Amino acid sequence: MRVTVRTLCAIGITLGLLFTGACRRSEGGSATTPPATGFPATNAITTAPLGQVAGASGNVTALSIANPFERNPQAIEQGKQLYIKMNCAGCHAYNGKGNMGPDLTDTYWRYGGLPVEIYKSIEEGRPQGMPSWGAALPPEDIWKLVAYIESFGGSVSAKDYEHARQGDQPGEQIAPEVLAQKP
Amino acid sequence: MELTAHAAAGSANLTGATFNFAPGDPAGEWHSQARDYANTRYSTLDQIDTSNVKKLRIAWTFSDGTEGGHEAAPLVVDNTMYVVTPFPDVLYALDLTKTGEPIKWTFKPNPSPMGKGKACCDSVNRGVAYADGKLIYNLLDDHTVAVDAKTGKELWRTKMGNVETGETMTMAPFVVGNKVYVGNSGGEMGAWGWIAALDVASGKELWRAYSTGSDQQVRIGTDFKPFYEQFKGKDLGISTWPAGMWRHGAGTVWAWVSYDPQLNLIYYGTSNPSPRVPDQRPGDNLWTSTIFARDANTGMARWAYQTTPHDRWDFDGVNENILLDLPIDGKMRKALVHFDRNAYAYTIDRTSGEVLRAAPFTYQNWSSGFDRKTGRPTVNPDKEPHPDVKLVNVCPPDLGGKDWEPAAASPRTGLVYASIFNLCMDLTDNKVGYIPSTPYDGMNIRRFAAPGGNLGEFMAWNPATGKKVWSVKETYMTMSGVLATAGDLVFYGTSDGWFRGVDARTGKVLWSQKVGSGIIGQPTTFLGPDQRQYIAISSGVGGAAVVRADINAGKPAAFPAGGNTLYVFSIGGDSVTADSKLSTR
Repeated sequence: MRVTVRTLCAIGITLGLLFTGACRRSEGGSATTPPATGFPATNAITTAPLGQVAGASGNVTALSIANPFERNPQAIEQGKQLYIKMNCAGCHAYNGKGNMGPDLTDTYWRYGGLPVEIYKSIEEGRPQGMPSWGAALPPEDIWKLVAYIESFGGSVSAKDYEHARQGDQPGEQIAPEVLAQKP
Repeated sequence: MELTAHAAAGSANLTGATFNFAPGDPAGEWHSQARDYANTRYSTLDQIDTSNVKKLRIAWTFSDGTEGGHEAAPLVVDNTMYVVTPFPDVLYALDLTKTGEPIKWTFKPNPSPMGKGKACCDSVNRGVAYADGKLIYNLLDDHTVAVDAKTGKELWRTKMGNVETGETMTMAPFVVGNKVYVGNSGGEMGAWGWIAALDVASGKELWRAYSTGSDQQVRIGTDFKPFYEQFKGKDLGISTWPAGMWRHGAGTVWAWVSYDPQLNLIYYGTSNPSPRVPDQRPGDNLWTSTIFARDANTGMARWAYQTTPHDRWDFDGVNENILLDLPIDGKMRKALVHFDRNAYAYTIDRTSGEVLRAAPFTYQNWSSGFDRKTGRPTVNPDKEPHPDVKLVNVCPPDLGGKDWEPAAASPRTGLVYASIFNLCMDLTDNKVGYIPSTPYDGMNIRRFAAPGGNLGEFMAWNPATGKKVWSVKETYMTMSGVLATAGDLVFYGTSDGWFRGVDARTGKVLWSQKVGSGIIGQPTTFLGPDQRQYIAISSGVGGAAVVRADINAGKPAAFPAGGNTLYVFSIGGDSVTADSKLSTR
């Protein structure tokens, strides 16, 4: 059975659960005006490969698809609400630092940290337990989730897709006790 | 590390506690996680004692290459050691008769990777049970498998659940006669908790008892005789919940089972209720956070006792139940000793479910006392969470005053030894909806050390009086099992990677060894083919929160990384030597 937000809403209402925020959104659209550029075309997203394109090098333009909600404060806030209501926080933690699911605030991304790669991970799901949300959430909501995840600061800018693939990211210092001693 | 000792010198049994050594496995071997039905983790081996423990050195090591938390004790049967890894749940047989203890065979069960993201607290495995030439264990993806101990061939495999729902299996099976008892995990995912009995020979499911639902589903019948009034009535597994919510109410069975051969009863505890947000499920939420006694043959419940009614803090009731016979108020009682995650240590009459002693064993503030008449804790209303309200300084946190890591008991001292925590949390509940395959959770938590500043503690407990005898305070978490031996030693490990041998009477730390990763495993002891006593422990930190740097309690820099090494120790580091084929010219 494909579980849609609509069926989830029905289940939720039957069981008297609180699901109202997400249900409202999926059935009545959003309070955020879609950005003027519109949403990336579905077929463009589909062509963004998870792996390297065999025999080719250089540009894979689909990877540079930007989040239409990038740095949009309203969308980020709505993404945060979705992050809690869709139970993302249960796996990736309320602060995004991960627990059952991976840390979303650091710079390591098993399936890629570009906006379109994060979008695809949410839409398609991933084999180690990440559910596929493509049937349950409209693209608009997934992009809002991506905007919220981007706000953690660990993701990669759409313009930087070569680095995302080939490395060359700055290193991290993990020594908070040392940092705390700085004047 | 700081020792706060009220020394208990001499050689006397301080409490009069005794227990049944059944099933009487060979003294030099280790066949089940708890070693005996009573769950004492006590070994009669005494070559290593308080006089020579300081000479313990590494005899040999083994690494399995996995990163997950290593919670299982290795088994030793017929000069072979059996080691199971966290996901992907690989089983190794190591030949103890040969120098270097080489791999005899490897069994790869090929579980689905999906479980990795469904298990709440790392992709752990709490160990294997040996019975009738078979090694039986649970896979993270809800299968129980039996493997031929001689050859590593799969003998049977039984699908117990559907990992796509968020249900997983992490507990160690427990075998009595021709039955093996297994249970599920997933109390954070709205899984429906159960314990089941399978036929050891075939893997066929004989019965399954759920932790919520109708009396029929819970296997409650006419011989169910709970001690307290709140447990009497029809279908309480439904009526103590808002309509329909019992179905995703958890009560999973993810830790230990014990068994009394005279009473023919098994004992185990159930997990927290789901969702973890209590205001969404008014009522006592039976039979979650509950200890059950069941007929070992039929699975029918004999009594039940809920340690934390309407559990608001994810305390669970799953911790081990150690079966001791104890003089209490001048009378010998068949007792069950249980250190609950709610920070109370219970001594319970295991024939009736009557609570004989209930006393906090670590810092707590959720409860202002225990009502002996009703068997209910008195809840401090200031520490009850409500959605969207930040609650500060609730103690203990969700991990409890002690987690799954099992205690040990010694019939020489009459004491029980446990790795416990000293933790609090700030908590904000967020209302949640049930979405299959996702967490049904809602607790936003920050954990930190309780007064004193230490995260861990290792203690000796008098189960007859309900009092702490001595304790060793640890800067970092103590989430390891405990081994007690006839050498009057107890062993435990810390999450920053210290393995310690302690005088069981005085609490004095006699020996410590730093190992590669943090320890959350269970120490064991055995005799090698050379008749020498060895002590074994797995390092490889992981599991629940606060033991690792990425989800820490404010002391980040020194947390060791994960990654497994099994360490085996002996006096002087001596081990089996065979003819070497190497020659130097």
